[in-house]
Amino acid sequence: MTTLKNPRMRRGLGLLAGTAALALALVGCSGGDDAEPVPERDLGTPVAGEIEEGALAGASLTFAGSGGVFQDGQTEALWDPFAEASGAAFTQDAFDAGKLKAMVDAGNVSWDIVNTTQFDTARGCGTLYEEYDYDQIDTSKIPEGTITDKCMVPQILYGLVVVYNTDAFGDDPPTSAADFFDTEKYPGKRTVSQSTYVDPQTVEFALTAQGKDVAELSVDDIEGAFDMYRGLGDDVIGWTTGAQAQQQLEAGEAVMGLVWSGRGYGAAAAGAPVAPMWDEWMIMVDSNGIPKGVKDKQAAFAAVNYSLGAEQQAKMTELTSYGGVNVDAEPEMDELLTEWMTTEHLDTGISPNVDFWVENYDALAAAWAGWATGS
Amino acid sequence: MSEGSVTEAIAVAGAGRRRRAPENWRPLLLLVPAFVLVSLFFLAPLIDVFVRSVTDPQPGLQNYAWLVSTEANIAVVLRTFGTAIAVTAVCLLLAYPYAYLMTIVSDRTRNLMQLFIMMPLWTSILVRTLAWMVLLQDTGPINGLLAAWFGIGPVPLIRTTFGVALGMSQVLLPFMVLPLYSSMAKIDKRLLPAASNLGANPVTAFFTVYLPLSRPGIFSGGVTVFILGLGFYIIPALLGSSKETMISALIQQQISVFLMWGQGTALGVFLLLCTILILVVVSRVNKQGSLFPGVER
Repeated sequence: MTTLKNPRMRRGLGLLAGTAALALALVGCSGGDDAEPVPERDLGTPVAGEIEEGALAGASLTFAGSGGVFQDGQTEALWDPFAEASGAAFTQDAFDAGKLKAMVDAGNVSWDIVNTTQFDTARGCGTLYEEYDYDQIDTSKIPEGTITDKCMVPQILYGLVVVYNTDAFGDDPPTSAADFFDTEKYPGKRTVSQSTYVDPQTVEFALTAQGKDVAELSVDDIEGAFDMYRGLGDDVIGWTTGAQAQQQLEAGEAVMGLVWSGRGYGAAAAGAPVAPMWDEWMIMVDSNGIPKGVKDKQAAFAAVNYSLGAEQQAKMTELTSYGGVNVDAEPEMDELLTEWMTTEHLDTGISPNVDFWVENYDALAAAWAGWATGS
Repeated sequence: MSEGSVTEAIAVAGAGRRRRAPENWRPLLLLVPAFVLVSLFFLAPLIDVFVRSVTDPQPGLQNYAWLVSTEANIAVVLRTFGTAIAVTAVCLLLAYPYAYLMTIVSDRTRNLMQLFIMMPLWTSILVRTLAWMVLLQDTGPINGLLAAWFGIGPVPLIRTTFGVALGMSQVLLPFMVLPLYSSMAKIDKRLLPAASNLGANPVTAFFTVYLPLSRPGIFSGGVTVFILGLGFYIIPALLGSSKETMISALIQQQISVFLMWGQGTALGVFLLLCTILILVVVSRVNKQGSLFPGVER
């Protein structure tokens, strides 16, 4: 770069630099404007799915979900009816954990309820997520064992399920996690998550195939699980988004896949010859998380409590194909949806070892990064 | 700078350029809005990114140490640069004859050719990538035709470096064609007959006359495609497998999944520094004209 010889040019640049500094200072000062604390309301004893008419008039809430058909269904079945009943204004946004961290770090949280995983709320409990006051939530109808940390109320029940092509393995379908890795008995390509998003259940599935009990895991097991997938060689292909997993199954590129149950159902509903393997499947639960520093905690709790109603959950299931979290919910399901509904097969599902993964997250993250980047 | 030296310097400068000096700095005022905008929305975040990379989670260089000591990172960095270089080469090979053709055809054909180049830019990258996914998959039309006509396959197209390079080249081709065309359009066409008059065969004439004259286009197109190629995210994710992951995916993972912002920003700073280094080297080579042997300036 040439140095500026002309001092007037220099002064001009000085002016520019000064303006820039001022602008930066202004940006630094903004934000952090504290809103008035919200007065505590008397909402009575919580009953799942109920809210007093107009009890939250004037409140405004934002739900950050995972998008697509799923969030559309939630909006229609849970949040819009809640807004109408309670008088609160309700808006929708898209969730991203990085964005949540930015909001919490900046002390300017614009989300009130987020759809995240049970591992995320467990890991970020108290730092990224608020602890629930379970006195304000009616948890009596929630399926047993699905509240896995103090910062979560379950949102949906789904699973990581082996989905296989019925044309390829009609009479003799796979019946165990071990079969997924048996390319001699079940030849053909398998698809499995290689997205950047860490999925402990993918690891647990491989360990189940090795005959390990997911309730008793050790850090040394983690690499072994990835070696199982690597051992499949050219027979393993990856999916990086749920849509891609579904597409690979529909196109017949993969004869078997370890995919989210909703995506398997999506492929089946689109006419693909696929069926779920329920003999060994990994139970997954998404959390309703409340971001740390949320402005109106009580309203957020009330919304979550409302969403847990049997009627709301039934409608949500009908619209999204994901399992509800109210044991009394009776969604109207056709034969196909019943076949794919995780809540009908909880007896053969394997629950994740949440504590273990929270404790050993760094080891999992490093191993997963290697797996997801092909090394 | 002390007040005295400023006055002194003004006096010295004023003596040299008496008439122009007083207005000299005023045009710079026009830059103020742009400069404020760039400072606010580009420089400030960039500085923040850099600071985070050496302070998150604690002060020190541990994020850079992590970057260079993790095998997966090195593999991804090398792969990113390799892919970007390959894509630049493919684009250059395809764009050069195309741009040349644009300089010799009629105005009407040229407009049509330009339209073909611009049209893909009006479609979202995501849509185009999804179309490639359909075409390239093992059960897709290309493999279908190969099987029907030649009885081979399925040839692995999707989830390969080839597939990623194909998708990226298709997106980046316009950024190569347009600068090439604009530099070729300036070349005096009479130089080639002149060269052959002096005894050069067409090949010699091309390499000694035409190619060096079109070099500014090669450089600006090449640098644009290469640098854009370094940052690709969607195409490697959808057309590649994990073995084609590029740096952007790694950064996304660190920021949005692991919430390790220090490591994510270190990757970003590293990519930026590499890019700047390459730009510096390329601009040097470009000026000294030693990229093509036998061409002296």
